[in-house]
Amino acid sequence: MKHFLGRIAIYLLLIGGSAIFLVPLLWMLSTALKPIDQTMSMPPTWLPYRLYQQQAGGLVEVKSLEAIESPSALIQLPDAGALTVIPLQRMQDGQLKSTDALGAEILVPVKIIKEIPATRENPWSRIAVVDVAADDHEGETHVAAKDWDVVPASTLIHKTSFRWDNFTKAVKAMKYFPMYLKNTLILCFLTIIGTVSSSALAAYGFARIPWRGRNKVFVIALATMMVPFPVVMVPIYSLFRTLGWIGTLKPLWVGSFCAAAFNVFLLRQFFMTIPKDLSDAARIDGCGEFRIFLQIILPLCKPALMVIGLFQFMASWNDFLGPLIYLTNQKDFTLALGLQFFQSQHGGTEWHYLMAASTLVVLPVIVLFFFTQKTFIEGISMTGIKG
Amino acid sequence: MTRGERKTLWLGLAFISPWIIGFLVFTLYPLAASIYYSFCDYDVISKPVWIGALNYKDMVTDSVFWKSLGNTFYFAALSLPLSLIVALLIAVLLNNPVVGRPAFRTFFFLPSLVPQVAIAMIWLWIFNGKFGLLNYALKWFGLDGPNWLADENWTKPSLVLTSLWGVGGSVVIYLAALQDVSRELYESAEIDGASAFTKLWHITIPMISPVIYFNLIMGIIGALQVFSGPYIMFGGGGPNRSALFYAVYLYENAFSYFQMGYACAMAWVLFLIILFLTWAATSSTRKHVYYAGE
Amino acid sequence: MISKTRLPILFCALLAAVAVATFSAGCSKQPNDRTPDGRIIVQYWEKWTGFESDAMQAIVDDFNASQDKIWVEKLTVSAIDRKMMLATAGGNPPDIAGLWAFSVNNYAEKSALTPLDKMLEKAGITRDHYIPVYWDLCEMHGHMWALPSTPASLALHWNKKMFRDAGLDPERPPRTIAELDAMAEKLTVVSVTRNGKKIRVHYPDLTPEEKEKKDFDLLQLGYVPSEPGWWNALWGYWFGGSIWDGDRTLTANSPENVAAMTWFQSYPLKYGLNNIQTFGSSFGNPSSPQSPFLAGQIAMVLQGVWMYNFIDKYSPEMEWGAAAFPSVDAEKLPNVTVAEGDVLVIPRGARHPEEAFEFIKYVNTQGPMEKLCLGQRKFSPLATMSDDFIRKHPNPYIKTFIELAKSPNARTVPRMSVWLIYSDEMGVAFGQVGTLLTTPQAALDDVQRRTQWKFDRVMRRWDLVKEDRMKEWSQ
Repeated sequence: MKHFLGRIAIYLLLIGGSAIFLVPLLWMLSTALKPIDQTMSMPPTWLPYRLYQQQAGGLVEVKSLEAIESPSALIQLPDAGALTVIPLQRMQDGQLKSTDALGAEILVPVKIIKEIPATRENPWSRIAVVDVAADDHEGETHVAAKDWDVVPASTLIHKTSFRWDNFTKAVKAMKYFPMYLKNTLILCFLTIIGTVSSSALAAYGFARIPWRGRNKVFVIALATMMVPFPVVMVPIYSLFRTLGWIGTLKPLWVGSFCAAAFNVFLLRQFFMTIPKDLSDAARIDGCGEFRIFLQIILPLCKPALMVIGLFQFMASWNDFLGPLIYLTNQKDFTLALGLQFFQSQHGGTEWHYLMAASTLVVLPVIVLFFFTQKTFIEGISMTGIKG
Repeated sequence: MTRGERKTLWLGLAFISPWIIGFLVFTLYPLAASIYYSFCDYDVISKPVWIGALNYKDMVTDSVFWKSLGNTFYFAALSLPLSLIVALLIAVLLNNPVVGRPAFRTFFFLPSLVPQVAIAMIWLWIFNGKFGLLNYALKWFGLDGPNWLADENWTKPSLVLTSLWGVGGSVVIYLAALQDVSRELYESAEIDGASAFTKLWHITIPMISPVIYFNLIMGIIGALQVFSGPYIMFGGGGPNRSALFYAVYLYENAFSYFQMGYACAMAWVLFLIILFLTWAATSSTRKHVYYAGE
Repeated sequence: MISKTRLPILFCALLAAVAVATFSAGCSKQPNDRTPDGRIIVQYWEKWTGFESDAMQAIVDDFNASQDKIWVEKLTVSAIDRKMMLATAGGNPPDIAGLWAFSVNNYAEKSALTPLDKMLEKAGITRDHYIPVYWDLCEMHGHMWALPSTPASLALHWNKKMFRDAGLDPERPPRTIAELDAMAEKLTVVSVTRNGKKIRVHYPDLTPEEKEKKDFDLLQLGYVPSEPGWWNALWGYWFGGSIWDGDRTLTANSPENVAAMTWFQSYPLKYGLNNIQTFGSSFGNPSSPQSPFLAGQIAMVLQGVWMYNFIDKYSPEMEWGAAAFPSVDAEKLPNVTVAEGDVLVIPRGARHPEEAFEFIKYVNTQGPMEKLCLGQRKFSPLATMSDDFIRKHPNPYIKTFIELAKSPNARTVPRMSVWLIYSDEMGVAFGQVGTLLTTPQAALDDVQRRTQWKFDRVMRRWDLVKEDRMKEWSQ
């Protein structure tokens, strides 16, 4: 029995925990599919919806302008003839209590159009018919300003409706999104090629060629992993400046052709597990070292190479500091930098676009993960254990 | 050295030449230049001018420097143990024979794949004072959530929460390590009637201590260099510079004030701090880290 | 099998090809600096938008038409300060940039600008050609770093109708601070509750008890120094004070500066902090139609020559005047103003400094300069202005602004490297004093201590690099 309860507890913890971990992602997706007014509703709604009202000609889409939760009246002001909703406590003997310019209290005669018996439990809603023709950019549903009405909220019909067009609109709002994507993909492509080829070469040199002093050099290589990037940041920036590369993509990928110690280390571990006899046999057959590397060792190490390529993809896709330092022209930005730039320009209000754009940045990584799950998990485990 | 040995040497060097070039151009030269610049007034535009140890002396009296260092330590001291505990707990839970373990593992792991920039965006939205999901959730428990991003006491905890969301990578590492722990140890402990906690404390943790140690070191190095999260979420440092982190202030010195010399000096201090902490962590855990075969 | 062995080689060749292609593509990205007809393209970054931008574009077009060697390409750039610095540091700056004059000293010390001395000498342009303050704005450490484009000076703007309504002579603005304060009281209207009824009275008609209790609502204010509050750090100038000794000592807490801040604090003390804050919360942006001066909520305001543009745009029927903002002593300290302006600089590392200077020189000749300044409704920074310019100028008070700029009491922001820090610290101090959290003396002592420490630090650094920088600049 105790055992059984323990199992239940474990499942509850796992389910609760993974829910907590997933909620932010789901919330991002939910926000990305909402119109702007539903992003700013309290309590929050998870499923984006559209509101409809039953009218003579069938269902008509409407928008809720405000909720009314206390007894009120729809009145018409005397001169302008404007309609407005006023809480009942501001009415006195069918007249509106108001103040003049000096703060003295006065009564204004008004015409009551409709009594609104709204309460907190039974709220009413001020609604307007959505102007479908004007519903294009800004992600706002446009309503005709004058044509509004007040109805009990319970008579409105909710229908779940995802605003998929938020994605196209967010892409448009980001202005250079296709450029960002292109730059990011170029960088991912070049850095993967650079990292995989150069690390494989160097790891082979460390693992399978018994040259003198290689262990000492390898220790140096491992030691370089300790150097924090800020220490070398300024001289490298200065170097690229001298080369005239600031404002180009070059500083972001050229370095990947110079095997990074961490990848060399991972691959070396892998290379060392391959029996020595294999290369010896090839050598007897007259194979050169490079051919052994290319035709015998590399094909055996595909999983490890995949891991390194995958990690490099993630690193390039996610990199923020590098693009921030080296890129100056908006057209050269990567997705990460472009997203941050968009946020710094539009942050604070257009959360639906920001979340749509974030989704577009997150989604490829997640899709990639589902296709390469095994490699990913094995790779991550490998980095931890062998370290 | 025989001819054969010399040939092997050249062959080896040829294979590792990409690394050698990278080492010279992107590590050795920058390290040397960085030391030199740290003793210079340098704005990248004109030549560096030697000013002795002034950058280091100025650092001592620079209150913003101390604030950023304090913030960084505060963050590290909070986030390192918390993420260690959370990751270990999840890993231990997952290590039970549960149905659908791969699915659970994926759920915990997914957030750690999300790019830093997107993480910042998502959490900015969740921490939002007015429409934020977090404060809404806290209301369920009758708690009135703080204004996470605008209250200087809560900016760092909010960043810690953000960082906890990304522990999935460590979970996977711990889980892999846990699965290597031999079942026999547990079985014999069970015969002795050990409780779950005793098993965790006396078997699990010692057996995976090398992995914990490795994660700790990487955590220290990473936590002291946090940049993207605070930079994106708080720009210049947030309310009363409460989220101005060391790496952010360093970046600002380099690329906003163009005091590259000062930035280099700061970077070296950071390097020394990291080296010291790594050394301290190594020597204090040496006795407790178990290496198979020792 | 054959194809399998060739695969890696093919793969490597492909890699190399991609690398080379990207490399060469990157190299050919070098911006083309010639027009199809062989003119040198000069990149010019400017911050202006709207009609101010149009006025400058007209000058650029004139210049491009006036000769066939240089083609100036003007680009509107937001956040120009930071972008120019990043571009300069990255080694890829524009040839000309239009900055605010107050940022020149910061950029000069960072070596982000090209010194213009040699080119000025060759072109025969000297200080005598300018209203002196505008030349001085461009100088730092004995070198010239910029030339003015459009200048500005500050004056008291007053609402004549409100003066008349308050029983004041609409043609006679205050001449001393004491007069300003007295007039401000007469121009202030409050609503106060007497015998259970709210009534509207002018401030001087309040009983001493009511003034003491401050239990009233402001309906209209004669004056308040915190609106717009852009030059708070410089109030000392109207009290005969200075910010530093011109060398390396700050005088933030000098008696004059303390007097200025005490005066600043006298307003919330007199009218009630809460009342001013409540009234102030209805103020719009100073350059919008809801600005309190344009909306008739405040009768007097310190503003620059550009204020005319907003009056003309948002409240053209307003009766207004402009005169020197009063100082403590009309006899000893007449015509105090702050001279500001926009300048043109050549960033360090610009590809075509000579050609850039040709354009700057062109802008700084009388004809084009007057056209530019007329377009922006400012006055010319040059010493001589044509009668036609003054006659055609839409701002009826343009002569007042010119006179102020030429006055010996026309001051500028201090050309010291810690100005931005000083101004930040002063902002904090004025915030605290204005909300009655501290005394002027204590707040200024704090500013003095903190900024002087920073200044000493900067000067210690400067002493060490001075020689090298000077050598570099005079090359």
